[in-house]
Amino acid sequence: MTYDVCIVGTGAGASGVAHKLVEAGMNVVMLERGGFYKEEDFSKDEIAYCKREIVTPSFEDAYHTIESLRNGKWTKKSTRDTESTYFNGNIVGGSSNFMSGYFHRMKPKDFKLKSTYGPIEGANVIDWVSDYNEFEPYFEEVERLVGVSGEITHFKYHEPRSTKNFPYPALDEHPISTKIDDACKKLGYVPYKTPRAILSKAKGERSDCYYSNYCGSYGCSSGAKGSSRASLLQPMLKKKNFNIITHAFVKKLIEQKGKVVEALYVDTKTKEEKNVQAKLFIVAGQAVESSRLLLNSKSKTFPNGLANNTGQVGKNLLFSGGGIGSGQFDENSMALKELMKEGLFVNRSLCDWYFYEEDGKEVKGGIVDFLFEHANPMTKATKQRFENGKVLWGKELQDKIYHKLNKTKQLNFEIFNDWLPTDNCFVSVDEKYKDAYGVPVANIRTGAHERDVEVGRFLAKKAENVLKEMGAKDINSSISSAPPPNLQAGGCRFGDDPKTSVLNKYCQAHEVGNLFVTDGSFMPTGGSVTYTWTIYANSFRVGDYIVQNQKVWL
Amino acid sequence: MPSRKTITRRVFIASAVLAGTALALLPQGAKTAIKIDLFKTLEAVQEVLFPRGLAAPSAIEFGATAYLANVSTHSSFLASDLRFLKHGAQELMNEYNNFLTLNPQEQDETLREFVNEHEVGENWVSFVLYFTIEALLSDPIYGGNKNESGWRWLNHKAGLPQPKVPYAQNLKGEVI
Ligand SMILES: Cc1cc2nc3c(=O)[nH]c(=O)nc-3n(C[C@H](O)[C@H](O)[C@H](O)COP(=O)(O)OP(=O)(O)OC[C@H]3O[C@@H](n4cnc5c(N)ncnc54)[C@H](O)[C@@H]3O)c2cc1C
Ligand code: SF4
Repeated sequence: MTYDVCIVGTGAGASGVAHKLVEAGMNVVMLERGGFYKEEDFSKDEIAYCKREIVTPSFEDAYHTIESLRNGKWTKKSTRDTESTYFNGNIVGGSSNFMSGYFHRMKPKDFKLKSTYGPIEGANVIDWVSDYNEFEPYFEEVERLVGVSGEITHFKYHEPRSTKNFPYPALDEHPISTKIDDACKKLGYVPYKTPRAILSKAKGERSDCYYSNYCGSYGCSSGAKGSSRASLLQPMLKKKNFNIITHAFVKKLIEQKGKVVEALYVDTKTKEEKNVQAKLFIVAGQAVESSRLLLNSKSKTFPNGLANNTGQVGKNLLFSGGGIGSGQFDENSMALKELMKEGLFVNRSLCDWYFYEEDGKEVKGGIVDFLFEHANPMTKATKQRFENGKVLWGKELQDKIYHKLNKTKQLNFEIFNDWLPTDNCFVSVDEKYKDAYGVPVANIRTGAHERDVEVGRFLAKKAENVLKEMGAKDINSSISSAPPPNLQAGGCRFGDDPKTSVLNKYCQAHEVGNLFVTDGSFMPTGGSVTYTWTIYANSFRVGDYIVQNQKVWL
Repeated sequence: MPSRKTITRRVFIASAVLAGTALALLPQGAKTAIKIDLFKTLEAVQEVLFPRGLAAPSAIEFGATAYLANVSTHSSFLASDLRFLKHGAQELMNEYNNFLTLNPQEQDETLREFVNEHEVGENWVSFVLYFTIEALLSDPIYGGNKNESGWRWLNHKAGLPQPKVPYAQNLKGEVI
């Protein structure tokens, strides 16, 4: 049979568009390389989810090669050798199952960085071909359908909203949040209440959050977390015009006469090769894997990969600039019983420096999110085994572990600022490095612009000020240009000019009329926020466009 | 509950210089190796690293070695990690072939000497500790944390739901 639409991937970027098309009655199939976990399958198993990463492909199956700058030379290393991974969750719902759901909207100026601030040397900054006004209704739709909880904090850079409040009230907060508020007041900072893609109230089949204390990196057993699986896919499972094929790793899209006609996939359980025919194809495998799929889909018409005759696929890949920092709290700062309370959220951010002045001129900044160190006991305890770089054991280690887990709490902050697009951050493929299915793996060059670290350091100072004012001990921060592998965008820019972009304004490939890319790949710049709200919003936006124009393809 | 993941090795070892090469470039077969029993050696070492405390259970009590014997057979346990565990144990026994007959105090001193003087000493001990702590705090279905002794010592409340099957399989014990 020939489906109306075939979607590669089932994460945030794939599911917004799937929702729109299925609701409009189109016959949709999704192909997902991993299996289908439901609420009842998830648990708080640190070994499975955080240590052995069972929900990402094994090193035998797949890997990446990473190019980083060493002594002035780009040096390539396989993640098989460094034992690190750029996969983030490869099951139905993708990495959205495992996100923490810190949600921020992009600001209107984020869509116009070049015309607002001018060019930056060494960076390929451009304006978006869409604007905040076009995205706003979709940001709002995400609040309702995926579910965003919170309370509006007014501050000078707040983006315009079409609705007054979030559809779900703010989640319960840990007593330390009031201490952050007090410190901010003293410093003249605005303590911004962080919106979260977590339900504080039940919605349909999804229960409200039960404050499990193990959120990021874990699947959600209540359905409260706004994974694409719980919020968008599971509610559609009964529909006859919707189908998810699991364990289907798409190797290649087959093109004929300028159109994609077939997705060639391998069943990862049986190792059998199969295919799916459709009239319209949508790719959303998370930025790196999406570019990889296009680059590997070579044909006579597209010898360098599908939709890549101008060589733009994989270029201007984005991670997120910034870094992390922390401070320690113990009974001197707060009654131990209060401090050690588990499960409650901190949900405070600093957004005052989303834009700031430098040398009398406004420049682009970013945000800070405050959060407790992850509750994972093994991770906390194993870190204790070094003291001043020397390994520690016996009673000394035992005392240190006991103290860490029972008497202290670490408040972290995470900085997010623009990862400027440059020529040194891209995805490519190399026939020499193939996965278990004979498909070239993604090579990722991870170069960053030096400005990213400058901005990150500026923001870290502000966060450190808050921790100092709160009386935290051992305050430190680490800002670097190391890419966070889970925060990916770019690689298939959208734009009006086919020479400099892969996709048009609606994320349709300039060179292939029945191909769309709907994860974060389209983003030419990412904003100073984590990407998932934007990815969901755009996926809804493209969905509306396809529905309105469906007769072109069907 | 971070939203920013950092790229880390699965097992963070002490010396950055050795990271990446220590595990990848292990000698495949040691030359004049004495024959060792890996898990007997590990058991002795783990008991030194994690002895019985006033309230703390000892490595043997919480099942540190039983845990490793169990998880090291699963496909998710990296072959290179197992090789490194074996390699360090072999080196230790090559240097100190009477290690298993020493008393706890002597074993502790011997391990300190091994860490200070042997090339792999510190990385290997920190590596063994890493898995010892996994055994202390992982869900008992993996064979460590016997009777939740690790959790009870540290007043740890397990996250809910606890796993009913290991390795995120379905309830029938099949890979999802
Ligand atoms: C621990 C963690 C914490 C996070 N916290 C936050 C946060 O607080 N805030 C935030 O905004 N974001 C957060 N994120 C990031 C967020 O999860 C991602 O931005 C978002 O899920 C990306 O959506 P996507 O559709 O691009 O990719 P994904 O959601 O990862 O989905 C891609 C899917 O495509 C599948 N796929 C890929 N290639 C193929 C192929 N060839 N064939 C078949 N299937 C394929 C994959 O298996 C995967 O399931 C976090 C992520 C992680 C891992
Ligand atoms: S119940 Fe709440 S805290 Fe737990 S995983 Fe779900 S959303 Fe996160």
